[in-house]
Amino acid sequence: MAPYDDWNKIDDEEEEELQDNSIWDAKKDVILFAIDCSPSMLQPREVEENEQMVKTCHLYAALNNAMQLQKRKVISGPNDYFGILLFNTTKKSEVSRTQSDMKANTYLFQPIGPLSATSILELIQLLNAAQEDPEELRKEFPPLTDKRVPMGDVFNSCNWVMRDGTIPNPGAARKQFIESAKTTLADLTQAGVMVEPFFIETEEKPFDVDRFYAAVLQDNVFVNDDDDDDESGLKKSISISRIEDLLDQMKFREVPKRALFNIPFELSKGFTFGVKGYGLVTEQKKGEYKYFFDLGHRLEVATVKTSNIDEDRDAEIEKSSIVYGMSVVGSNENDDDDNIAATKIVKTGQRPFYTADEMRSFRTMGLEPGFKLLGFKPRSTLKFEDNVKHSLFLYPDEHTYAGSKRTFSALLKSMAKKKLIALALGVIRRNSTPTIYAILPQEEHGDETAWAESAGFHLIPLPFADDIRSAPVAEGYIGNHWKSFQAPDEVKDAARRWIDKMTIKSYSPDSYPNPALAYHYEQLEAAAFREEYNPDAFEDQSEPNVDMIHKRAGKFLKEWKIALANDDSATYVVPTTGSKRKSVGLSSSKDSRNMYTKFSLKVDELKPFLRSKGQSTSGKKQDLVERVGEWCESRMVS
Amino acid sequence: MPVERAGYTVIMFLVDVSKSMGSTRRVPLPPGPDGEERFAEMTHLQYALQYVKFKIQTMTDQCGVILFGTEGISSPSDGVLYPLLNLPTATLKKLDELEPSDLYGDPIDAIIVGVHTQNTYLGNKKTWTRKVILVTDGEGPMEIEDWEATVQKMNELNVGFTVVGVDFDDEEHTEEDKRPVKRENEEFFHKFCEAGNDSIVGNLDFVLEQISLPDVKTSRSTLMHNVLRIGDTESRTDEAMEILVKTSKCTAVNRPKSFKKFAIRSKSPQEEEDRKAMDVDADEGKNVTYVQLKARSENFVDTSEPKDGEVESETKVEEDEETRLAALEKVEKEQLIRGFKYGTSYVPCPDGQFPKLPTKKGIDLIGFIPEKKFRRDWAMGEIQYIWGNPDNATAQCAISSIAQAIWVTGDGRDPKMGVMSPAFFNNEEENKRVDCLLWAPMPFQDDIRRYTFPSLDKLINKKGEILTEHPYLPTDTQLEAMDEFVDAMDLMEAGPKDEEKNPTEWFDIRDSYNPAFHRLKQAMFHCAVVADLETNPLPPPHPELIKYFNPPKKMVKRAQPIIDKCIEAFNVKLVPKVAKVVRKGAHDHAQDDDDEMLLLDRKPSTSKASQSNSSLEDSATEDEDEEMLLLDKVPPARKPNTLPTPARSLSPSSRRDNGDDSMDVDVDPQRDPHRLIGRTRPLVDFKENLKRGDIVSKSVEDMCAVIEEVVLAPFASRRAEEMMECLKELRKVCLKEDEIDAWNSFLPKLKEKCLKSTPGNEEFWSQLQETGRTLSLISDKEAEKNGGSSDVSESEATKFMD
Repeated sequence: MAPYDDWNKIDDEEEEELQDNSIWDAKKDVILFAIDCSPSMLQPREVEENEQMVKTCHLYAALNNAMQLQKRKVISGPNDYFGILLFNTTKKSEVSRTQSDMKANTYLFQPIGPLSATSILELIQLLNAAQEDPEELRKEFPPLTDKRVPMGDVFNSCNWVMRDGTIPNPGAARKQFIESAKTTLADLTQAGVMVEPFFIETEEKPFDVDRFYAAVLQDNVFVNDDDDDDESGLKKSISISRIEDLLDQMKFREVPKRALFNIPFELSKGFTFGVKGYGLVTEQKKGEYKYFFDLGHRLEVATVKTSNIDEDRDAEIEKSSIVYGMSVVGSNENDDDDNIAATKIVKTGQRPFYTADEMRSFRTMGLEPGFKLLGFKPRSTLKFEDNVKHSLFLYPDEHTYAGSKRTFSALLKSMAKKKLIALALGVIRRNSTPTIYAILPQEEHGDETAWAESAGFHLIPLPFADDIRSAPVAEGYIGNHWKSFQAPDEVKDAARRWIDKMTIKSYSPDSYPNPALAYHYEQLEAAAFREEYNPDAFEDQSEPNVDMIHKRAGKFLKEWKIALANDDSATYVVPTTGSKRKSVGLSSSKDSRNMYTKFSLKVDELKPFLRSKGQSTSGKKQDLVERVGEWCESRMVS
Repeated sequence: MPVERAGYTVIMFLVDVSKSMGSTRRVPLPPGPDGEERFAEMTHLQYALQYVKFKIQTMTDQCGVILFGTEGISSPSDGVLYPLLNLPTATLKKLDELEPSDLYGDPIDAIIVGVHTQNTYLGNKKTWTRKVILVTDGEGPMEIEDWEATVQKMNELNVGFTVVGVDFDDEEHTEEDKRPVKRENEEFFHKFCEAGNDSIVGNLDFVLEQISLPDVKTSRSTLMHNVLRIGDTESRTDEAMEILVKTSKCTAVNRPKSFKKFAIRSKSPQEEEDRKAMDVDADEGKNVTYVQLKARSENFVDTSEPKDGEVESETKVEEDEETRLAALEKVEKEQLIRGFKYGTSYVPCPDGQFPKLPTKKGIDLIGFIPEKKFRRDWAMGEIQYIWGNPDNATAQCAISSIAQAIWVTGDGRDPKMGVMSPAFFNNEEENKRVDCLLWAPMPFQDDIRRYTFPSLDKLINKKGEILTEHPYLPTDTQLEAMDEFVDAMDLMEAGPKDEEKNPTEWFDIRDSYNPAFHRLKQAMFHCAVVADLETNPLPPPHPELIKYFNPPKKMVKRAQPIIDKCIEAFNVKLVPKVAKVVRKGAHDHAQDDDDEMLLLDRKPSTSKASQSNSSLEDSATEDEDEEMLLLDKVPPARKPNTLPTPARSLSPSSRRDNGDDSMDVDVDPQRDPHRLIGRTRPLVDFKENLKRGDIVSKSVEDMCAVIEEVVLAPFASRRAEEMMECLKELRKVCLKEDEIDAWNSFLPKLKEKCLKSTPGNEEFWSQLQETGRTLSLISDKEAEKNGGSSDVSESEATKFMD
């Protein structure tokens, strides 16, 4: 629900790309864990972990999950608030004032507040202690043995502690008080709180959702009217049976959904509906470092204020009176020598520079935010290379135009059926430049258990003619003959064999966390906890599984290499040309030196190459070239 | 002709400043704010200089300007303004001060001087490109005797020569009313240029139009060395492969240059006094100085100490805010340490980054995926070419046999995930072909946001039933209309006809110029060329820039009947913004985008749901002040837009199943976002809306819908009386406000729903029947009395209620 104003605050001069983050920064989420502490949660269990039997209990696992989530949240949403509430425990809150609000037998373990290294450390220490002594948690949070806290009361307590959040709710308890739970839950929802239940079950004791939660939560879903959040989500969370999945499930929920823009989409004059745009794919970058000031006993972050000044007068100029133009050079002749700032002198009433409004009208071409349909084309006309930026996602907005959903839905179905894309001109914010987008229909699919694909349109910004670079290589050597337009069949077939072996079903980003980011975060976390970081312990999950490659495709790779080596191309000499920028030509072939000496490489390119291969980098260029040649020969034809 | 090398060209401008160049002309300007025609009065010289200045602006080459028609062009050097300079801005300033003279100069002399100067300057630098551009109105007398010698000399030196003539004739335009001398001169220039190897005559209007054409500089990007690795190339070399490749950019976003910032420098008091004291002549005071601004960043730090032990309270927060602002202290950048935030704690990191992940330059192949599994919407950025090393036949051969793959690249830098797709370039004419891979960045786990959205197809009502009819679901008629619309808006044959009169595709990326980029560029040059933007504003954008701003006209025209059909079938209505204002008046707990206000206004009535603070201590008391305070500290992540106001209706309609996080905050939870009328107090809403007057149709429409929903909902009997009132009011309004048709179509529908649908509400309908004729259809007679019309007869109306 990012208001328009948020986007408009952004400085005119800033790049569009920067705007996304500001929205994330401005909003806070509050997450409250409500965890059951009943005896069954504390029941010691043997769990196999790293081929070892480890004693644990559900409560430990739940707290551990909370800690893991905190660790991630502190990085992904540093402004978010976090808290942990325990119920079905006899532990009393220390602060008496809260007693009146908190229902009996609930305990606020971590009050809601921003996350800090200290608070996470506390939890880690507790978990460590619990690992040492399985009784630790029982001692720390004595369970309520004779009865259970009604869920209604739990929600009620939550209510006091929080405004908004998620309640993962591991607990194997049956409650009678459906009505009261329902009511309180409804109130929570109306206050904008989402409840995400997480049920724990064991093989011996399956969690029967229908006995209590289904009735309570089913309602919740429908009361949850003004939240975009999916109603189908309930079933998925119910289906969780393994605690290991808990964290994975939370991953999907931890980033709150916010629209980037909410603008009209004109299909034709008089035929307009409303859409909202979301960013589903955006490059996640390391946070920028900040500047801190050491006050002796603590660090305080410095606020940066940027102002525009007239250097000669040392006077700050208000933003509203700034005009824009090209720099002036050589116009200072008549001025005093001590003036640094460039000036332009004009007659009164003349204005040589543009106002901010004019600048904006140049950027937007005078268009207001919105999309305008240009027409439809077959899906196949959208080329792989027609890409410069990440895509956005469109979903209808019934709030601005009544009837948006049916129109959107009909358009989507029609385009998907006909395998079409749409082209549309779009200005997504008040200060953004007009862009032509390819609009790709996304039909909804997905089964009940897996993460389902929501229906909507993918919005792909197309490059402009200005953004296209020409191909620097015009001609290449393809195979046996220059005239034959195909790679030689033997080589192709050989390649086909190992390619088949290396084919995976599809690319799933879930298996590939960004190693550079992970490496950064691990160091950051270690530094925050004042631990020594061991870089060797880092595991890059994005590295290709070479063992698997060799196991499956090694043999075929070898065959392919031999086929390549036997091909004419291996002995073919690429003719020298005058400039390396020019494409490879045939006519000027005169000499027939060894092909490896043909690299038009420079010494400062040869050296790093050799260095990376662990070869010596001493000697003249000729030596280097020969060494590179030797190395290559040893590798390519073995 | 030798290929031009950027930056290796010398252009000599020969500018005519003869007397005739001083005559004025009216140059059309972009229409004024009210669409009125506007003209600028300027001399031929000023007009012509726009071209010269533009050329000087846009080029990276060296240039010289020679004036002719100045006083005493006896020796060559006299007329030279700037012999040869590489400083465009300085030259521009000089040009701004040019005034026509009282004399006439000879263009031929100028050509001789120009070519000579250029030649002297360049000496024997053969590779440089030489250009001479003559700008004249051709009104002056010319010595045309030995011109052949001049042409010969120019041909020898390979000088490109262009005459830009003010009001010269060209194919499209001939000036009838011109002096014979000008006509002769023009003929002469044509003759002159025909003799030259590389010479042309052009018309100033035409060249001025030409230069506003967007130009695309197709830049080739540099090839970078890299290596494509398959398998373990360190220890299992016989089964692994390393292919030397080169990469280069395939797409790269071209961003406009940034503008500099300026502001009017106000006169300091000191200066004012000086001026008065010196009694400077009046002209001085008429000047305005614009100064270029510099950005300055200053760092501030809050040095105030948090008060320990004090319970965080309302007063504390207010104080905090004040003291915080006051306690900000300016610090020098050198005193600061770099670091990262980790929650509320800070982690110092003096280098600004932790040691980077050690990576090895190269592209590692992870695997292959079938092309149809590639998600186009995941491509995250600019595309790269990957070439087999162009000097290495084996590498090229290897590349051409690889299909598609996912891989990681990195050269000590951060690795990137990407997908490669094969591409083939065929040049049949030259019998050339090269295969390469295209690489697109793909998201890592961290880059994907898994939002889910409510299903568009599957609407479930409260009872858990799947709905098949709902305003959110398109009907078969609507689907059909949309299919027709999509077909009608097909672009594949909507483009201009080709040579063989075959229809072509509309829209080609290669012709789509970035409008903002070129517009800003145009603006940049324009402001450097003109002195005053008030009297000489930027001309409209070149038509090429906006040619893809609207769908092809012909296509739309042909599709219009289908579009009209769609408009009717879908009946999409803008939800009037006024609705919000109306609501404000209607309820004391009106909401606003401003959270604070909202909470002040808000009086939670029945709810146990109260807000609490971040720390538990604060939640002890529940009063409004505290809620306000809370907002200072913790802006809610989501607006509590559904207030716990008990709805009068106990029947949340299925329509509400699908929520949206709304931008427009609504108060009545029983009011659908797109409606003006809520289900809680429909009559009040209805009347309120009508008072405003301008949204009658929408109000009537919404009222009909609300009544129907309430009547058909469970427990409707409790509200039967209320609904009856609503109906009465609605009928009254329909009659008066000429919404008779709306009523007459609504009532039969209601009847049918009450009697024939399940569950329906027969009871309500019989109640309605009892009311009788006064709530029946509006007959023609009734309508006439109120100045409207109806096609229902009196008897029909009476019969309807039986």
